[in-house]
Amino acid sequence: MLAEIGLFATFFAFLTAIYGAAVSLYGERFARSEALVLSGRNAALLTAVLLTVGVGALQIAILTQQYQIAYVWAVSNPQMPTFFRFTALWGSQAGSLLFWSFLMGLFTAICVLLNWRGQRRLMPYAVTFMLLTVAFFIGLLLFFENPFDRWWVIPSNPVEQQVVRAALMPAGALEPDPIALAQTAQGLNPLLRHFGMAIHPPMLYLGFVGFIIPFAFAMAALASGDLSTNWLKITRRWTLVAWLFLTLGLLLGGRWAYDVLGWGGYWGWDPVENAAFLPWLVGTAFLHSAMIQEKRGMLKTWNMFLIIGTFSAVIFGTFATRSGLVDSVHSFARSPIGFPMFAFWFISTIIAVYLILWRRSRGELRDENAFTSVFSRESLFVLNNVVFVALFIAVFWGSFGAPIASELFLNTDITLGQDYFMRVTPPLFAALYILMGVAPISAWGVTALSSMGRTLVIPVGLTLASLLLFFLTGTRDALALFAYGIVLLAGWVALVETVRGLQARQRVHKESPLSSLRALYTRNPRRYGGYLIHFGVTVIGLGVIGSTLFQQETQQTLSAGQSLQIGGYTLRYDALFNGQIAEDGRVMDIAQLSLIRDGQTLATLRPRRDFFPQTEGMNTMTIAAAHSTLENDFYVLLVDWNEINANAATFKVYINPLINLIWWGGIILIIGTLIAAWPREILPARVRQEMQVSGLARKGA
Amino acid sequence: MPRLIVRLLLLLAVILSVQPAWAQQDPPPRPVTDDEVNAIANKLYCPVCENITLDVCPTTACMDWRMEIRLMLEQGMSEQQIIDDFVRRFGDRVVGTPQDPTLRALSLYTPWILSGLGLLVALGLVIRWRMKRLDPAESLPPQTSSRYRDQLEQDLAG
Repeated sequence: MLAEIGLFATFFAFLTAIYGAAVSLYGERFARSEALVLSGRNAALLTAVLLTVGVGALQIAILTQQYQIAYVWAVSNPQMPTFFRFTALWGSQAGSLLFWSFLMGLFTAICVLLNWRGQRRLMPYAVTFMLLTVAFFIGLLLFFENPFDRWWVIPSNPVEQQVVRAALMPAGALEPDPIALAQTAQGLNPLLRHFGMAIHPPMLYLGFVGFIIPFAFAMAALASGDLSTNWLKITRRWTLVAWLFLTLGLLLGGRWAYDVLGWGGYWGWDPVENAAFLPWLVGTAFLHSAMIQEKRGMLKTWNMFLIIGTFSAVIFGTFATRSGLVDSVHSFARSPIGFPMFAFWFISTIIAVYLILWRRSRGELRDENAFTSVFSRESLFVLNNVVFVALFIAVFWGSFGAPIASELFLNTDITLGQDYFMRVTPPLFAALYILMGVAPISAWGVTALSSMGRTLVIPVGLTLASLLLFFLTGTRDALALFAYGIVLLAGWVALVETVRGLQARQRVHKESPLSSLRALYTRNPRRYGGYLIHFGVTVIGLGVIGSTLFQQETQQTLSAGQSLQIGGYTLRYDALFNGQIAEDGRVMDIAQLSLIRDGQTLATLRPRRDFFPQTEGMNTMTIAAAHSTLENDFYVLLVDWNEINANAATFKVYINPLINLIWWGGIILIIGTLIAAWPREILPARVRQEMQVSGLARKGA
Repeated sequence: MPRLIVRLLLLLAVILSVQPAWAQQDPPPRPVTDDEVNAIANKLYCPVCENITLDVCPTTACMDWRMEIRLMLEQGMSEQQIIDDFVRRFGDRVVGTPQDPTLRALSLYTPWILSGLGLLVALGLVIRWRMKRLDPAESLPPQTSSRYRDQLEQDLAG
């Protein structure tokens, strides 16, 4: 029953999405019919409701163990805890596509509800583009990756063809034995059985899906000809929201990799990671350059390219990671969703680029202001955009461009890995941090170099003092000190500018520091939220430099009671408890070690290897144990052990200095983004004046 | 005395004939640590699993390859010789940057060339802006000015 409910709800969502897209465009553009436009709006809302029913049906099916549904059978089993039954919804291709479509439908409905009145002229076009995208994803579900397919038994078929998979009951089919289905159910991929999986994919999907709204508004502006900065203002907050989720998704993905993948790092420059990083790079460039258009009416064409490029990167990344392109550059031809996704990406990008060039050729994307100085905020933002785009090119080339080009044109299979990325990207990141340090103190229009120099004196002094501290505490590597210096300057500029704002307010309003800080964040959330984001990025940068340049590692085999020494620590192997069986059926081999420093036991560490006997393929996980402090992480992996008497075991140990700053910096960055994106009611000047007048009248009375 | 000379000559001949055989015996393998193996394995990618370095790949095939690296180190091969051997057998996909000079140059310089072009475009844009003097005749009519339209939108929304 749940399968039928889910299937029909999804099918009707597909119909309503197509209907909504068609009538919105026809009603606004050709028929000029308010009734049709409103019907399109209602179709968008109904699509979200139907997708909620669809996703709800699948979630309930997983929770209630309906193993006849092939997806439920593939991602769960009777031993799985309830928590993982929730996360199993996005544990494989079909379910995650349904969840993705649901989020997209939800975003569309929220956008319709929030922006319909304020953006009446753009909304019908925006609804058209949003619903077309939603319809495409639902189409993928219905025709290529149906999560509501069920197992059937057709007794009249030859033995090897008796079990079939179909959405609707085939003629002469019977329902399979539920006990046999439960016994053979596969369960969730072991790598996904981690708490991070409850948050990381939804955050990433929300980030990806969120970019549909800025894209739809940009397309709406191009299609309707309403090319004022209106679309930009309304989409800025949506872009920030999408960016926030994408950032959270990337950070949580890094944390998941650090905890689960067992290689002592958080970012491996893997194509799947990079596919999520690419839209983040373009989206960040857009968030900066959008300010130039808002303040100066410049870079209109460029901003269009950036926002459409962000969406295009989302779709390309989805195509690349879901079609199997990253495993082999030819595998997308074999994957069922590879070709349609590629076609959608290609067609949507071509249409968008055509619309931009068409409007540009008509002079409708002309800049409203002339450039006045090389040393201005707009020129530094342009440079910032160049660096972001260069990073995009470097990451895209390393992940997809070079492997595809070499295989297609040179018939050679190559991998561009850490070696390539660590050669190409550091100078670009360094350039970004330098710009982060200089751009906030520049002015729109013209910046006097002397004034900029004066403003930089305190941050530069603080940076030098910090570097001296680093030097005195043992950092003697010139490259590391240079890198720390660049990053610290950006952070100090952000902090000093915030303190200057605080002092200015305190002088004028005689407030307490806390009240002034609150006032800064509420009166100018974009600026001061932005500074907090920069500060968070600085903290992340310090963590990245420390953990990359000063990581120590060793691998040694120890007998029980033996110890190894690394970085001033002693690690003693105490015992191994093998064959421990967990609630969900996994078999755990757990080592117990003592971490000692200066003769004192700091912690008992229990790294382990989990084996999932019921899972085919990748069925072993290496779970690290870590002793975390702000100074470093002492990270231990159980690599191997003697199966017979467990007397000797091999451990891989990493010391990752400052790595926890990455997570703390991430939290600061998220808080800053929330402040910058927080909705603020802005009343029209006329209303504000009226309120002031009535307030004065009351006082006078 | 001549018999003694003959015996000494025979002994010398035996020694001379034996010495090369003794010299050809393999030296005892030097002890190789896991860290030495991992340092090289970290620079090689698993030829089977995509984008996973050999030092962390948990598959049996990669365990065998790590053992192979250990044996090569024991035989006295250098890091570069081992990497070259893997590249010869599995191709450039086993290293993080291709060893082949053309592919290597193509891989490393292409993003810089493309970024350089981007920078040139940006510079061109900045120069064009700087040269541009806003002609009043070219400026947008008030009814299409962004600011005006935004104000209008805000008023309508309010």
